[in-house]
Amino acid sequence: MTVEAVQSRSGISARAAVLAYIVVSGLVLLLMMLLGLAMRLAQAQWITVQPDFFYVIMTMHGAGMVGIAGLSGAAVMWYFVRRYVPVSTAVFLANLVFFLIGAVFILGAGFIGGFAAAWTFLFPLPAHSGELWSVNAAASYMVGLLFIGVGFLLLHLDIARGILSVYGGLGEALGVKQAFGLAPEDQGPPPAVTASTMVLIVNILGILVGAAVLVISLVNLYVPSFTFNALVAKNLIFFFGHVFINATIYMAVIAVYEILPSFTHRKWKTNRAFYFAWVLSTVMVLTVYPHHLLMDFAMPTWALIAGQIISWLSGLPVLLVTAFGALTNVYRSGIRWTVAAGLVFVGVAGWAIGVIPAIADGTIEVNSFMHNTQWVPGHFHTYLLLGMVAMFFGFMTYIGPRTTGASLPIGFWLYVVGGSIFVLSFLAAGSVSVPRRYAVHLPQWLPYDRVASIGAALTVLGALILVLNFLIGLPSAIREETAA
Amino acid sequence: MVQQVVWGVSIVLMGTLAAVFAWVAMGASVALDDYGPAIASAYRLRTWLFGLAVIVLIGANYDTLGKLPYVSSISAPSSATATQSVEAIAEQWSWSIKPDAFRAGETVEFHVSSNDVNHGFALYDPDMRIVAQTQAMPGYTNVLRYTFREPGVYRVLCLEYCGVGHHEMTAEIKVSAH
Repeated sequence: MTVEAVQSRSGISARAAVLAYIVVSGLVLLLMMLLGLAMRLAQAQWITVQPDFFYVIMTMHGAGMVGIAGLSGAAVMWYFVRRYVPVSTAVFLANLVFFLIGAVFILGAGFIGGFAAAWTFLFPLPAHSGELWSVNAAASYMVGLLFIGVGFLLLHLDIARGILSVYGGLGEALGVKQAFGLAPEDQGPPPAVTASTMVLIVNILGILVGAAVLVISLVNLYVPSFTFNALVAKNLIFFFGHVFINATIYMAVIAVYEILPSFTHRKWKTNRAFYFAWVLSTVMVLTVYPHHLLMDFAMPTWALIAGQIISWLSGLPVLLVTAFGALTNVYRSGIRWTVAAGLVFVGVAGWAIGVIPAIADGTIEVNSFMHNTQWVPGHFHTYLLLGMVAMFFGFMTYIGPRTTGASLPIGFWLYVVGGSIFVLSFLAAGSVSVPRRYAVHLPQWLPYDRVASIGAALTVLGALILVLNFLIGLPSAIREETAA
Repeated sequence: MVQQVVWGVSIVLMGTLAAVFAWVAMGASVALDDYGPAIASAYRLRTWLFGLAVIVLIGANYDTLGKLPYVSSISAPSSATATQSVEAIAEQWSWSIKPDAFRAGETVEFHVSSNDVNHGFALYDPDMRIVAQTQAMPGYTNVLRYTFREPGVYRVLCLEYCGVGHHEMTAEIKVSAH
């Protein structure tokens, strides 16, 4: 089946579908950033938020950000991978519908039902609310996550079908032969296909594991006598959570491979090291999750030691292949910098820089002092806010109808400078043992919260300008679609 | 303290990476006449960086994996007095720690568990810096060994989100002088 044959089945054009994804992603990102800002302002004691509502906001922010990172990453991946393999626009849109249905369930659980067990829903917390949320509210949250998971599973299976129809096997599409010198490296798959294949492999497994632990938790809600080992549940949840959120970065990095060369006029070099890095990353994303459990002394020690070593190894492909690749692609290329190119370049920088505090926290000796302090949101906001989301905003600006708005550079700098202040405040607070996920902070922690609040406000303002620029140009894009 | 070292090293490395990205970005608008020699030099540099990274990776892991906090992998310091066994049970949203008063120099083994959901047992020194931690989990008892060096009031904070009273889940441990 040809690429065109599959794509023509849908009544809506692929570009319109991607625009719909971007609109939803941009708006949800803004809303979730505002929730994040509200939390920092409350911790800074600049606004008053009751603790029970703070934890609702925290749960919604976490679930919303992880979900929208997945959705925006999927938009990037689908947009570029369809250049090489046949994919279904209908399935792509079905994922968006499942996501929106799931979001309704989750928002209802939080803002109507008061569900506040954090996005990680660690078993058996959802069933132990302290009378602050009902069983039905907890169930609504889990059903919402299941809807979102079903949508992503369908999308991944459809892309897998498309990849298999062209490449014959996932190993071929990942570039395993090129990685091990069994085929010429210049005959390997394009970066978008390699990255998408990696994402499919890890995310299908991650989503299935996540669904399993969600179903177990759901049964436990209504049949409390049905219990489950809390440590096993924790392993399953962190496997799912780690894989899913990391996959969002690997989806978004496709934007770097595709967009940056269009500005530098240099092809992204795919060689043996490139394919080997992706094969290695596939294995490591699936096996590194025990680094979330380093303070669970009941875990087998060998698993925790493996978690530390794989955490360190995971940094090599990011730093020496993707970051190095971006630097050499841009170096003295004669590039005319635009906001889109700048954002994807910053995205690679944010991802690479975020590796440093992540590796530190993945070290058992350090984790004893840093685990669940603000060091943790410090490192993951570095490679999500300044990494993954920057890549997505670069993609949004790249394919947006208005790519030359006068305010765009202002939005770019507010986002980058504000984001840097924000993540550094988190890391600094973590280094003085400020706990994460606390609604109320001690007086000596307030300076960090206040600097972070300023950084967060600048970030939100920058994001607002970037998203508004896209939305303002949207009507003309829709008119063009309709005319076409 | 470990935290200060980690903060300092991280900031230096993060700043170095940021400077490299900024340097490449600022010089990128002027095109090279011949990209070939530059990319060849870059790949040679990458080979050296890879070698350096492997050395750092092996060295850092060799060093840090010798200092695991898990009781099965450590032995009590010879200078310490006999190990005091302490029961630390978490329950939404309070701690039961028995006993909760010690002398400086005393080595304590906290047997940490939970009666309901996941909690985190983090021991803060009188300056409110974490000195040790483990998870408190239903169905499991994690053993955390710590030697109190300085007298003062230590605090236990919950470091695993456990519901809306999470931030109120604190306890005090008093450590007297010798």
